[in-house]
This record gives sequence, C-alpha cells and structure tokens, in this order.
Amino acid sequence: MARVALRDIRKRFGATEALRGASLSLEPGSIHALLGENGAGKTTLVRTLYGSVRPDAGEIRIDDVPVAIDGPRRALALGIALVPQHSMLVPALSVAENLLLGEPGAAWLSRERLHARARELLAGSAQGIDLDARAESLSVGELQRLEIARALARGARVLVLDEPTAVLAPSEVDALLRHLVELRARGMSIVLISHKLEEISAVADQVTVLRAGETVASQALAGMSAAELGRLMVGDALPPAGQPPESRPGPPALRLLGVTAPGLHGIDLEVEAGEIVALAGIDGNGQQPLEELFAGVRTPEAGALEVLHAPLALLSGDRQRTGLVLELSVAENLVLPEAAQGGAPPVFHAGLVSPGELAAAAEAAIARFAIRARPSDPARRLSGGNQQKLCVARALRRDPGVLVAVNPTRGLDLAATAAVREELRAQARAAAAVLVISTELDEVLELGQRIFVLFRGRLLPVPDGEHTRAAIGRRMLGEAPG
Amino acid sequence: MSRLRALAGPAAAALIAAALAGAWLAALGADPVAALRALAEGAFGDSLALENTLVRAGPLLLVGLGVALCFRCGIWNIGGEGQLLAGALAATALVTRGFGPDAGLGVLVLALLAGAAAGAAWAALAALLRVQRGVSEVLSTILLNFIAALLVAWAVHGPLQEASGAYPQSDAFPEAARLALLPGLTRVHAGLLIAAALPFALWVVLFRTAAGLRLRAVGLSPDAARYAGVSPERETVRVLVISGALAGLAGGLEVAGVTGRLFENLATGYGFTAIAVALLARLHPLGVIPSAVVFAGLATGSGAMQRAAGVPSVAVQVIEALVIFLSVGFALPRRDT
Repeated sequence: MARVALRDIRKRFGATEALRGASLSLEPGSIHALLGENGAGKTTLVRTLYGSVRPDAGEIRIDDVPVAIDGPRRALALGIALVPQHSMLVPALSVAENLLLGEPGAAWLSRERLHARARELLAGSAQGIDLDARAESLSVGELQRLEIARALARGARVLVLDEPTAVLAPSEVDALLRHLVELRARGMSIVLISHKLEEISAVADQVTVLRAGETVASQALAGMSAAELGRLMVGDALPPAGQPPESRPGPPALRLLGVTAPGLHGIDLEVEAGEIVALAGIDGNGQQPLEELFAGVRTPEAGALEVLHAPLALLSGDRQRTGLVLELSVAENLVLPEAAQGGAPPVFHAGLVSPGELAAAAEAAIARFAIRARPSDPARRLSGGNQQKLCVARALRRDPGVLVAVNPTRGLDLAATAAVREELRAQARAAAAVLVISTELDEVLELGQRIFVLFRGRLLPVPDGEHTRAAIGRRMLGEAPG
Repeated sequence: MSRLRALAGPAAAALIAAALAGAWLAALGADPVAALRALAEGAFGDSLALENTLVRAGPLLLVGLGVALCFRCGIWNIGGEGQLLAGALAATALVTRGFGPDAGLGVLVLALLAGAAAGAAWAALAALLRVQRGVSEVLSTILLNFIAALLVAWAVHGPLQEASGAYPQSDAFPEAARLALLPGLTRVHAGLLIAAALPFALWVVLFRTAAGLRLRAVGLSPDAARYAGVSPERETVRVLVISGALAGLAGGLEVAGVTGRLFENLATGYGFTAIAVALLARLHPLGVIPSAVVFAGLATGSGAMQRAAGVPSVAVQVIEALVIFLSVGFALPRRDT
C-alpha cells in the first residue's frame, strides 16, 4: 500500500495549465525521483503535496485514506514536510533553539534541558553540529541537515526536497545523499527533485517523469543509467512541434569572442543577420551570466561582445523581476528604455512626455501584439502571456538589429507561445539576428537554424544533421557527441 | 474612485489620531473636546494663527517634498535637517559676509540659489558615499545632520558671529535682502509662494518627464530599471541632489524670510517632521501641501492647547507622534499582491 498517492492532479494558473493529470505514488522506505524539463510541473506537483498549492481536481490519499491538504500546517500534521533549498531557520538563534522553536514551553527551558531535548530530537541525524552554534554560522549543507532533523522532530514521514543539491558543494552533496539513504533505511518516504541524473541513478529506487504537466512514466529505477534517465526525461519519440525558418545567411550582426565571466568559459559565437541561433541547455549552465552580459549589467572578464548591427534588444528571461516594472503602467513600461536614453520623439520632447503620443504608442503596441490590457493598467494586472507580449512589444519598438530572447515562452499557453515564436521568426525574416536561449528543447528545435548546447559554461555545437531531441539531450547531460 | 481611496487612508489616520489623542487627554484629566478645539483654533482660528501655521508649513513642505521624491526612488533621506542648515548657512554667509549692509534684491536671489546649492552639495556627500562606497544613506544622512548643526554652531560663535559679539548669532540681513511680506499680511513672506509652487513643478517632473519615469522605475524595481538601461546609481545621485536643493532652499527662505539671521537650533525637528509630512502625503508631490499644513498646525496650535486645557507640552508631542505613527500605518500606498 502506498504511503501517499497523488492521482490525476490538475492545476491551472490563469491561462496556463501547470498540471494536466499528474500522478505520483510514494512507498514507505523509498527515495522517489521526480524528473522533467523546466516548466513540466514538478514543483507545482510537490506543492500540492505539502499544501502550498491547492489542486483544481484530482485525489490525494494518505495510507489509502482520501485527504484534503489545505496548507503546510495540515501537511505537517499528516507527516509531510518540505526541506527548503534555502533554509528558513532563524539565523540569530542557536541550533538547539531553532530545533525547539514553536514547541510549547521550550522558551522556559534551561540550557541543559534545551540541549537534552534537542539531542533527543536529533537522535543522531545531525551529528557533528554544535548545538550552541548560531544558525547563521552553519554551511548550506549543515542547514539542510538541520531542516531535515527539524522535520523529523515534528513527526514527518514524507520529506520533499526540491533541487536540494543545486546549492551544495560536491562534498556536501555526497553527505546529503548518504543521509537520505540512511533515512530511507529508517522507513522514510523521500521525494527528490533534481536535474543531476547521476545523483538520481545513485540513490533513487523509483522514478516518475513529468512532461507538460502530465505523468508520462513511473517505474522502478532498477539500475538505469543517467543516460537512460535522460532519454526518459526528454523523450526520443516526440517530433519537434514546428520547423525552423529557412536559413538566409547575411552579414554577422552579433559576435562573442572568447567571452569569459563567472560561470562562462570562453564563449565564441557569431550570429548573422536574418538567422535564428538557439542555445539549449539545462538551467544553471551559464544562462544567467550570459543574459546579464546582454543586459549590460555585467561586463566580460575576458573576451569581447560586439554588436555589429545595433541596437541590441533583450527579451529578459524573468519578465516579473527584470523584464517589467510591475507597478508602472503598460504605457510607461513600453517607453522606459527610451526614457533611460533621455527620451526621443514622438513620445518625448526635450524630456517631457506627450501624454497623447504615449497613449497612442501604447494603443498601437496593444493592437499589434494583441495584448489584453489598457495603456493605463499596471503591468502587474496582466496575465503572464500578456506581460510577455508587452516585453516583446517593447523589445521590438526600437527595430533591433540583434534580438536576444531568453526562455521567451516560459509559462505561456499554446496560443501565446505560438504568437511569440512567430514574432521571433518574423524578426529573422526582417533581417534581425535572433539568439534564443532556452531550456525548453522543443523551442530550440522549433526555432534554431543553428543549435548549440550550453553546458557548464561552454558552448557545444550540434551539427546540422543532429537536430534531434536525443542528440541534443545527450549534450545537455554533458556526454561526448557521437 | 481610486483617487477617493487614496484620500481615505490619510483621512482615517487623522481621525483615529484625533480619537486616540482625545482619550489620552481625558486620561490626563483634561476635557478632550475643549483641548482639541483649542488646538484647532490655535492653529487655524484667526488670521494670526493661520499665518503662523503657514509660515511654519513652508519649510516642512519643501523638505517633505524632497523626502517624498527620494522615497519614490527607494532612497531614505533622513538628512533634511542637515541639508536645510547647510542652505541657511550658505545663504547667511553670502549675505552678511559677501555683501554686507548694502545687499539688495539681486543678492537675495543669489543667496537663495546658494542655499539650494549648499543643500544639494550636502546631500550629494551622502549620495557619493552610497554610490561609491555602498554606505547606507540612512546612516550617512543622519550623521551629516549632526555635522551641519555643529558647523552652524561654530559659524555663529566664530566667523559669522554678529559684529557686536553679544550673542551667538549672525548679523541681521539688511532689509533689502529680506523676503518681503505679502501685502496686508504680518508674517507670511513671498518665499511661501515659491514653496507652494514647487510641488506643482515636481508633479510635472515626476509624472510627465523621462527623468520622473526613470526615478519611479528605480524606486519600484531597481533590477527591471537596470535591464531597461536606467542606471540606479545615477538616479540615486540625482534625486538626493534635488532633495537636498529643496531643503537647502527651505533653509535660505527661513533665514531670509522669517528669522532674518542665523542662529543655533534654527531648524529643530523640521527634517524629521518632514518625513511624516511625506508619508502622510502618500509620497505625492501635491499631497505634501495639505500634509505640511496639518503638521505645522499641530505645532502652532500646541501652545494654545497648553494654555486652554492646562495639559503639559509633552501631550502635544504625543499627539504629533500619534499622527506620524498612524500616517505610516494607514497612509502608505498599499501594494496589490
């Protein structure tokens, strides 16, 4: 009998269907890996489990009894706890105080009794951690172990770890994985989300794969290699949804010459006017520093970034944090880059805004890109898709010679995705050089005339004949081509 | 509709403050209704009271306006006091030492400009510390207040002390270099017209110029502003300089319009009350006008309340604190989430 079973879970956020029938079944004493590309719904699915997201439909059973989990408190009462990637402990309190925080009467205990109770709770699971140390003095790995100990102390039988190793040093990763194996031996059920397939094949005994919000595989791991897991994740069989446009070589418009920055090692790349180059890769392999270089908020430590066909426009990968100022209106967001340059006609005259021209510019963008909003609406009120269309409208306002798009369709529904991708193709047809940096394989295959994989800060070329999910997937996992 | 809602917060803060103040006065054994009526009459009851309130509102308005602009840009300028003193010091030095008894209208204009420039320079110190060295402007502006106050003390005991050497104060401004009183009034000087016009000018800057859009973008989301090509550092320097210039101008207007000379304790509390002025105004340039009048009225009405209701002067400070506290709680714009 499964300890926890999630069946046919559905969840919609606005226009986006994050989960479309996802299932997950956890056995006692097991480590269950949850795999999937970015945006496949892994995090949303585990959130329904520990109560921070309420599903629209589907069933959750614990020990075969249907339950409703309406919040993290309820989840904890049912024995389910999240081990957060970034610790939620109180930095200024000691280890012992953090462990007993929230326990009735703990505030009145003497130091000796506090320590005795803390040792009892730890029961050997966080050995080597000084009970008097302040939480802020611990390493990330120690904090995670303390979080686990705290969850166990509160009676957790199911632990959820969402990419726990992404923030750890290699030696800490080994320690965490060993600890998880010990916990399994003590009968815990552990959900482990990780992009690092070697880790999963080393410790997990079950695996569930999500693709586009659906469970597409759920099976025993039984000695599967990292490569086999990778194929299970990206799926060999699926053809790309669309075809990249015909290649029409032009003069070089964007050139990166040995660009080196933290997380990037000697990137060489040339994008020609009229073509779309796509960079695939799993998040965390250099996408972030690369985007910051194009945004101009970071300068290369070595090498050069040359824009031969100015201006360069960036479609930021995080529209809510870096793409838009959410409290400003649609119209103001649209012209913010112009205002940054001092303001140009027709919207600005000698730095003064012409309200009529501003509204007209916004109305024109709204009509052209089918944005469902009024010029005066704060950007915050728009749905994700409409926010992204606004970002596209803004990027194209200055007729870019080079357009860099980072995860341009993340979180968008099918119609909005198609519209944004078509706009990128239209820009290439209009002789712009387009560089797409995407963690979504389908997007890379659909848009890229030339494809590279970003792996550990380096570019691996994908030859023209190998534009398949399998060939790209292998490079994304760092396997030698061939 | 949204405009009405924008006014509801400050109004609620004022009403609740009045209710709590009444309860406090009753607890002290005073008649709360009579005391509050005395407060209101002392502030607005007759033309003299009204003039006193308006004169006091002038510097509060200018400093509060600067504070509001800074907060809009995400900068915590707690240094209005010091910037005001720097402006008063520069204006006084120019008039009494630069030109002397034959100073006229031209010198007055120069003195006001010098006051604004000195306030701007004083604030620019904090801006440079923040941009170049990462020093929090909260700390640097507060500390610069003390330095400015000590500089004024040194000046009126030393180089700027009056010729007779009797008191620690500067020579009086010559009559021609003082701001004229408005026709038919006994206290309100021409400088108040400047103070009343500036909120309108800065409303235009904030909401109708590229510079204002940059400033608001930086305050709302420094990351998104930077990605759009705006330099938060440059905006920080700009807004602090403008804010300092407004406070410095207030200092110049104070010595040229009200006191006629420089002395210690010229600006006790203006810089700090201005923060409350900005918050009660919900950081809106035009909201600063009524907000400054409210806080000025509290200060001028307090004496009348003391006399009429027999409550100690600290009772008034408690009421001021209540309004400040509640304006922070009620009057800040609420973010939609």
